[in-house]
Amino acid sequence: MSGFDLERLVPAHVASFQAYVPAPPDDVLLRRFGVTHLHRLHNNENPLGPPPAAREVLARWDPAQAAIYPQGDGWHLRRAIAAQFGLEAEQVILGNGANEVIGFVIKAFCEAGCNIVTADRTFAVYEWLASFSGIEPRLAPLRADGFDEAALLRAIDAQTRVIFLCNPNNPTGSWWDHARLERFLEAVDGRAIVVADEAYAEYAEAPGFPDSFALMARHPNLVVFRTFSKLWGLAGLRIGWMAAAPAVAATVRKISISYSVNLLALEAARASVWDTAHLAATRDHVRQGRAGLAALAARLGLPLLDGIGNFAMLRLPMPDTVAHRRLMARGVMARAMTSFRYPGWLRVSFGSAPAMAAFAEALEAVLAEV
Amino acid sequence: MTADDAAPRLSLPPGPRFAAVGAEFVRGAGAAGGIEARLADRLALIAEEVLAASPPGAGPVSLALHDRRHAVRLELGFPTADLDLAGLDQARMRDPEDDAVGLYLAARLADQLTTEPVGRSGLLLGFNLARGYAPRSLDPPPPGLGPLAGAPVDPDDATLALLVDWAEAEGLGGAGFRIAPRVLDQRAAGELFARVALDARRRPIGGLLWQPFGRRMMALSGPALLLPPGPACEALAIALLDAALGALARGSIQGLVVLDAAPDMPRDAFEVVGHLPDAAGTPQPVLFRALEEDPGGIAWVPPLLRDWVTRSVRRLGLGRDLGEPPPPGRATGAVMAAETDRAAGRVTLRPLLAAGDAAAVAAGNVALFRGQGFGQFRAVLDLGQPGHAAFAEGLVQAGLAPAALIPDAAGDLLLLAALE
Repeated sequence: MSGFDLERLVPAHVASFQAYVPAPPDDVLLRRFGVTHLHRLHNNENPLGPPPAAREVLARWDPAQAAIYPQGDGWHLRRAIAAQFGLEAEQVILGNGANEVIGFVIKAFCEAGCNIVTADRTFAVYEWLASFSGIEPRLAPLRADGFDEAALLRAIDAQTRVIFLCNPNNPTGSWWDHARLERFLEAVDGRAIVVADEAYAEYAEAPGFPDSFALMARHPNLVVFRTFSKLWGLAGLRIGWMAAAPAVAATVRKISISYSVNLLALEAARASVWDTAHLAATRDHVRQGRAGLAALAARLGLPLLDGIGNFAMLRLPMPDTVAHRRLMARGVMARAMTSFRYPGWLRVSFGSAPAMAAFAEALEAVLAEV
Repeated sequence: MTADDAAPRLSLPPGPRFAAVGAEFVRGAGAAGGIEARLADRLALIAEEVLAASPPGAGPVSLALHDRRHAVRLELGFPTADLDLAGLDQARMRDPEDDAVGLYLAARLADQLTTEPVGRSGLLLGFNLARGYAPRSLDPPPPGLGPLAGAPVDPDDATLALLVDWAEAEGLGGAGFRIAPRVLDQRAAGELFARVALDARRRPIGGLLWQPFGRRMMALSGPALLLPPGPACEALAIALLDAALGALARGSIQGLVVLDAAPDMPRDAFEVVGHLPDAAGTPQPVLFRALEEDPGGIAWVPPLLRDWVTRSVRRLGLGRDLGEPPPPGRATGAVMAAETDRAAGRVTLRPLLAAGDAAAVAAGNVALFRGQGFGQFRAVLDLGQPGHAAFAEGLVQAGLAPAALIPDAAGDLLLLAALE
């Protein structure tokens, strides 16, 4: 074959995009960094794992079912979620993790020449998915580490199709309350889809946190994202969901991928909805983790950035990427924040007590080397 | 490969029969595009020599002429990388009857020679010639600049030129902040990037520049800071660096390298990955700032440098599998590219093609440039490419020593250096 010209076939926005390279598996990391254990404080996972009912689903799962396709659109799970939040089942769409749902929304509403608007220092996937789909990501700077409605509104033009709000924001934990989100929706006035990505909403205990499903009834351009990866402890099964007004959901459903969520994920998630004991236990764990990290920050004299979520950020007197390597060499994984445009900051998930103790010890040793 | 779709292009069969056609294309395209005749003539000679030396089986050779304002560049593309390019190595002994003497001449005619893969199996040779800039008189910056107002910006040309002029007049910022027209031309060509801090009257009060350093790094220059020393000036340096990091995050660049740090560079924001001797022989720190987490990787390390690399890997806390590189597939035909800076008396060598004679070729290159009076020698080996290790022995025998290890999980860069 001599006529295959790959470069001619690749769109410019794909050719110019740099592929995301995930970290190697833990066994490779253990060997390369010369450690026998790695504490996972980098991905905001729930150290309590999934709720008991989901564990039971997983434990009694018959491997023979692996040969059978899952039900194509999560019939039962969508009904369980809808019942929990007072929605119709047709308003709920599932995805292989919330990342897939982000892709659904961009694919449903954006075409060449359009743009999306989000913040410069937030979850990267909105920006990435838009970029490699040939859609311009417009990034409004955060103000005081939170989404700035004035900057977002300035960034909107006639070509803007989707505005992504990360609420609470990863990595800062900052959040908009119900009234602020509603004011923003009124200011947008239906000119674009507004996504409230609430991946960490279940950690919110403040009474003012938005009831986005209620707002959706008055603002049909509002789309809400949720995930089972964080508080519900099902990150390894990859399942997230979105809810929208019926007409918006029907549009997204046209391009959503049926059968993309696997059997185990569907059943474990359905069993998790809505385990209030697990919710309370996880929130209690997070409160303890937050208090412990705040005490560590105070003892070490490190600025702390904290809000809603199972994580917080520490400002280090050294490059965060160097701290990341040196913590790895001491068996602790935390997230360097330069790639989130927070150079010098480290994001730490609230892990198990032994993991947090190992982190504290390792961080003190790393800082002592500065 | 440059992305200049408007560049004049031609495709010709390889070999001497069409070499003169290639030369005339370069002259004609140069004249039509406003490239000075002396530069177009040099590139025409390069095209002629490379085409004449191309073997009949090389397939059609593409020519493209790019005017990058601060430099002109001739690119010759081959559909196959399986070429004998040994003649491009300037250190090889020349016999006037040697078929490869044309490649030797082409390499000597260029200020800089680069190679890069194209597609699945092709090879692109790039020959660069630099433009000169006339000296200019410069006004000093006005008194009373500052304080910083807002975040540093990607400046317009006038603001950047003003900053460079003021920095040059004050001797600030290092070699990068010199000759504003050249800086603007480099930026227009996509080879230089900047962030500039402004005061409330929109006057530039400081800046940072960066340029590509290999495929996955950027080299930082500066900062040039026009505020008086003190906390405000230190905060300005941090703001500029944070702006640079923010601009580069989530892209293809893995790290920032500082080979020649200006005094005001905030050292705490970097790690020291080695030392390079300056012109006076004094070791100067090589600074590095990673933009991404380093998940570990493989480094192909030649046996005689294994101890040094192992110590560096441990000191830097890198997760690396150190592999012993296999011998190169080719028996002979190794090539190194040389980038010369005659004003500084410095030559930087980089492997282009590995072969069994790599060590001798490396030593020969050092001897050649030593004979031409160069006093500073640097070599850059990519430890992610097993073939590069083959050059190490010759470089060490010629007096170069490992000086810095620049981390990159996809291929650490090992800098070797010697000062005569």
